[in-house]
Amino acid sequence: MENFSEVLALFLSVDNFLAIAAGVLVGVVVGAIPGLTATMAVALALPFTFSMEPVTAILLLVGIYKGGMYGGSITAILIRTPGSPAAACTLLDGYPLAQQGKAKKALKTALYSSCVADMISNIALIFFAAYLAKIALNFGPPEYFWLICFSLTIIVSVSGDSVIKGLIAAGLGIIVSTVGLDAVYGTQRLTFDSYNLMDRVSFIPLLIGLFAIPEVIEFYTSKVLPHIRTAVSGASLTWKEFKGCLKSVVRGSIIGVIIGAIPGTGATSAAFISYSEAKRNSPRKANFGKGEIEGVAAAEAGNNGVAGATLIPLLSLGIPGDVITAIILGAFMIHGLTPGPVLFQENLTLVYALFCGILVSSVVLLVVGNAAIRYFSLIADIPKSILLPIVLMFCVYGAYAVNNNTFDIGLMLIFGVLGFIFNRTGVAAAPFLIGFILGPMFEDNLRRTLLISKGDPSIFFRGPIAWVFITLTVASLLFAIRRYWLSRQEASAA
Amino acid sequence: MEKSEINLSEVTERSYGRLNPNSVLGAILVLVAGIFLFYIAPTYINEPPSMQHPLLSPRFLPQLAGWLVLLLSLALLIEGLVRPPRHTAAEKLHEGIPVLRWVLMIASGAIYMLFFEELGAIGSGILVSVLLFLASDLRKVSIYLLAIVFPVVVSLLFVHLLNVPLPVGTLWE
Repeated sequence: MENFSEVLALFLSVDNFLAIAAGVLVGVVVGAIPGLTATMAVALALPFTFSMEPVTAILLLVGIYKGGMYGGSITAILIRTPGSPAAACTLLDGYPLAQQGKAKKALKTALYSSCVADMISNIALIFFAAYLAKIALNFGPPEYFWLICFSLTIIVSVSGDSVIKGLIAAGLGIIVSTVGLDAVYGTQRLTFDSYNLMDRVSFIPLLIGLFAIPEVIEFYTSKVLPHIRTAVSGASLTWKEFKGCLKSVVRGSIIGVIIGAIPGTGATSAAFISYSEAKRNSPRKANFGKGEIEGVAAAEAGNNGVAGATLIPLLSLGIPGDVITAIILGAFMIHGLTPGPVLFQENLTLVYALFCGILVSSVVLLVVGNAAIRYFSLIADIPKSILLPIVLMFCVYGAYAVNNNTFDIGLMLIFGVLGFIFNRTGVAAAPFLIGFILGPMFEDNLRRTLLISKGDPSIFFRGPIAWVFITLTVASLLFAIRRYWLSRQEASAA
Repeated sequence: MEKSEINLSEVTERSYGRLNPNSVLGAILVLVAGIFLFYIAPTYINEPPSMQHPLLSPRFLPQLAGWLVLLLSLALLIEGLVRPPRHTAAEKLHEGIPVLRWVLMIASGAIYMLFFEELGAIGSGILVSVLLFLASDLRKVSIYLLAIVFPVVVSLLFVHLLNVPLPVGTLWE
């Protein structure tokens, strides 16, 4: 009870509510603008959190994440351009509905399904994260080493079309992560005698460079496309219609939670699995793909069910489930916190204050989402020629704010050019970021294990937990190889 | 069978007349990884005189990642050689871009990188916004007012609301 009052004292502040509202609003707006992504918004918002309390900062970023997940579906429904890969499934039925003049119905279905799924996912997070963290307290460096190895397998799933290119990007990310002074021996690694590189490559310039700058460069090196105007029209969703979709929404939410809790599986697969399950069980299965609201509901429930659940491995084990949670992991570190079991031991009040905020964010999403539907045409009609100079300004100010140093602006632009080259050559930037974040964790736990055992490698296989992670790592790799093989066969058949 | 193979190669040559971009990327990465492994890593990663275990070496992880990049780049190079290149619709978007457009973009980056502290956050923000509006061929004067309003508002937001210091500009001090 004493803890509960501490949690409330920490959570019930105007700043936290403002951060959630602002985060969800920014997420929905950015997600609704074609070409801008929630990942970019989270990266750009990170410098804003420097002076905030840790809870407020994390809630702002989580709000953007959740808003972005829903915002991505708006463009999918209205202009057949998914704002996020996960929203690709939503357009299968959402866009045909919009073409039939039922855009408003589709958008409302997407919003309500997203909010229900988000709430279910948040409840799962609250129930499971603490239990998982309790188990993780038994982990030592060898177990963590294998856990990081398992986490590294998520690179395969975030590699996009080419696993080879994704793994190359991850390798490059690992190399960049080793720049700076060596943690054990204190010797210089790849610093080229630059004082600015002694304390590692700064996370924020790298992040902004990789995920925001390429959009700017892409715009100024491409032909200006005609601006597509959009309209939200038609009748709204009735309670009877939504009730008819509820089964698929709950099923999709549970699928989302299970998939989201496994690092690297991602919202896209959750959306498609949820969609296919809804289609299989629906009495109107023939209507799927032609404008069926249950299809929109299932897809949105699947991808939003992931949002809260991806925070389970992040908070309890300290490993990111996807790119955005990787950025949120960085935000924790910037604020001097290390997600994982120790966070639950030392900052339990903070964790539960975060849980309160995450629950509130689902309600805020409902309010902001409704407003976004009403004012969508205003949001999406801002031309990129006006928007991108402002985005660039945010990028530069944010990168500079890290160390008050123009070196970081240069670093950000270099990573921006790298991100642009990645875009042009079909290399996904996400594996680079995952490699950059997990590389030092891998090295740290490998070294700790070897120092404890005085170089004896048998310590890596010392107990059942280590074997569980070894099995998971091998299974995950085999699964990825099988999936890669199948996609290659499909491509050659096409 | 032989004839169809010849036809296919002719079509490929006529349609594309170039290497698969994956091969070019693979070759460049092989070169970069080679330079990293055989020159940069030995020269710029200092090793202590004695170590308990070779895996504890500061060079272990960078070199492991370097070899990973080298081998996968070779795989990419070979994969590109055995597969014909494909044109994508996106490539057409990048053809025939006015030179001024991307020159102004590069100039904007250079201004932020080289003159941010001299011009200040607001000064460089205004200058770059004007350049980028010009690059997009925006004609309305009212839009150019935004180039002044936004840097001022965003700077004030950073400095006063979020307590994140930004340079005022050494030129104006």
